[in-house]
Amino acid sequence: MRTKLAVAAVVLAVFPWFLHDYGLQVAIQALVLGVFAMSFNLLFRNTGLLSFGHAACFGAAGYTTALLVSKLRWSFAATLPLALVAAALVALVIGFFSVRLTKIYFTMLTLAFSQMLWAVAHKWYGFTGGDNGITGLLPPGLLGNPKGLYYASLVALVLVSGIIYIVRRSPAGYTLRAVRDNPARAEAIGISAFEYMVAAFVLSGTLSGLAGFLHVAWQHSAFPDLLYWTTSAEVIIAVILGGSAEFFGPAIGAVVLVVLEAVVRSHTQYWPLALGMVLLAMVLFFPSGVISLFQRRQREEVPRAAA
Amino acid sequence: MPLLEVRRVSKSFEGFQALSDVSLAVEEGSLYALMGPNGAGKTTLFNVITGRYTLDAGRVLFANQDISHTPTHRIIHYGIGVSFQRAIPFPSMTVLENVALAVLALDRKTRNFAHPLLSYADAAERAEEIISWVGLDDLKRQLTAALPQGDLKRVDIAIALASKPRLLLLDEPLAGLSRAERAQMVGFIRELLRSLGTTLLFTEHDTEAVLQLAGRIMVLHRGSVLAEGTPNEIRSHPQVQEAFLGREA
Ligand SMILES: Nc1ncnc2c1ncn2[C@@H]1O[C@H](COP(=O)(O)OP(=O)(O)OP(=O)(O)O)[C@@H](O)[C@H]1O
Ligand SMILES: [Mg+2]
Repeated sequence: MRTKLAVAAVVLAVFPWFLHDYGLQVAIQALVLGVFAMSFNLLFRNTGLLSFGHAACFGAAGYTTALLVSKLRWSFAATLPLALVAAALVALVIGFFSVRLTKIYFTMLTLAFSQMLWAVAHKWYGFTGGDNGITGLLPPGLLGNPKGLYYASLVALVLVSGIIYIVRRSPAGYTLRAVRDNPARAEAIGISAFEYMVAAFVLSGTLSGLAGFLHVAWQHSAFPDLLYWTTSAEVIIAVILGGSAEFFGPAIGAVVLVVLEAVVRSHTQYWPLALGMVLLAMVLFFPSGVISLFQRRQREEVPRAAA
Repeated sequence: MPLLEVRRVSKSFEGFQALSDVSLAVEEGSLYALMGPNGAGKTTLFNVITGRYTLDAGRVLFANQDISHTPTHRIIHYGIGVSFQRAIPFPSMTVLENVALAVLALDRKTRNFAHPLLSYADAAERAEEIISWVGLDDLKRQLTAALPQGDLKRVDIAIALASKPRLLLLDEPLAGLSRAERAQMVGFIRELLRSLGTTLLFTEHDTEAVLQLAGRIMVLHRGSVLAEGTPNEIRSHPQVQEAFLGREA
């Protein structure tokens, strides 16, 4: 594992020097989606909660950055703390009302919240520019240069992965999995399932905000699409493609999805069709993600205890 | 003054009366058994005590404090531990992790996120002690998902003991165990009281085991108290004989 990581780190570090501009754009997109997918999976894997509303956190951060830069002339980098706070607040509200619900109801309510936020961004022309979006946001310095943005995104991915790794093996991480495994048992040893699920939602949403910030830096613009359900769907697809049970599965899924999209789009206009077929094949043949193609070891699914 | 007092508790589910007007008192340092056929309301009574179910009427007192409306996750801090009827601990973790997490939860350290679980040396050490105590040393590094039911019961009790309960609620500790395991568990329950001083309230279908173990017994039937008393009183209670002890009457 260590050598694999070291090799991956070296490859990722020298990679931009071998890419043309278009390739670099694809690489940045993959890294940003990778950050998003890792953050999403922090919630999904550790608590079992399938959020269909992570676009709200991603977009809240993105719009915060875009609005501060366009309206108040803040420098790009200076907006990052507030962008993360916005993502955290949105996550807190959605999490607070949703985590009490189980399974499909949780998923539907998170979707409803994010669609509400999308509707606001879409209709409020005076503030967000509606579907004209906020454009012309050229970040100065490092973030405005493709190679600089690539490295910033890579650092973000390393940072997010590090945070997730550390939290996972801590008492708090075990507590989340205890709540997922057997909420009744967890409560009986003194754990408030509600509190921990909300906390996990907030952490996951905040880190997703980092991806939203990078996305706006990459696109030089913010559109209501950031908050639309397709953004949530994209991150879920990346996680399914890569495999949620593997630590780096979501990041690998993000790379596969983005590269696949770039390749398919350059040949046909039927990307949604191709995506549908890929997903179908995944579900039928590789339910634990593309990463399972590269390893013999079969992971055992942990049975979810009945409450 | 009893350690646990249940006063005239009732609970219904959509019109179905699962408990009606049930009262009991468990003295500190005693073994108290709840008996009754399937569906009598034993587990429901446990759930009412631990706050998993809100009660419709009545009160639950523990060490003279009213805990009737205390949320489940606070119950342990009063000193009430539980082992469930269907013992499924946390299957994605090893035995040691299961127990260590319960130790940390009691100490309110589960919010810590910077260091690995087992690097909390005090907690890990205490967890190891408890695991030895229940005789699971050989299995401590095993994932609980892979363990047979008999071992799971003991893991579940180890988790409950990690919370240092004054009162331990055991829901059918003997169910699903082999003959040898049952004898072992009976000895183990006695030992809990003798060496740890843990007061026990337990449910059990095996009448003989209950009569041997318990200091006092309550028999529930369709949510109501059919009889309450010492094993001898229960043994000679006419309605109980009729209903459960047929072969001995
Ligand atoms: N959450 C619930 N919703 C609806 N009915 C319930 C619920 N919990 C228990 N009941 C009903 O209450 C009655 C008592 O159930 P309970 O589990 O307390 O019985 P028990 O004495 O523990 O039985 P067993 O020996 O089978 O464990 C049963 O008829 C059960 O169906
Ligand atoms: Mg029961």
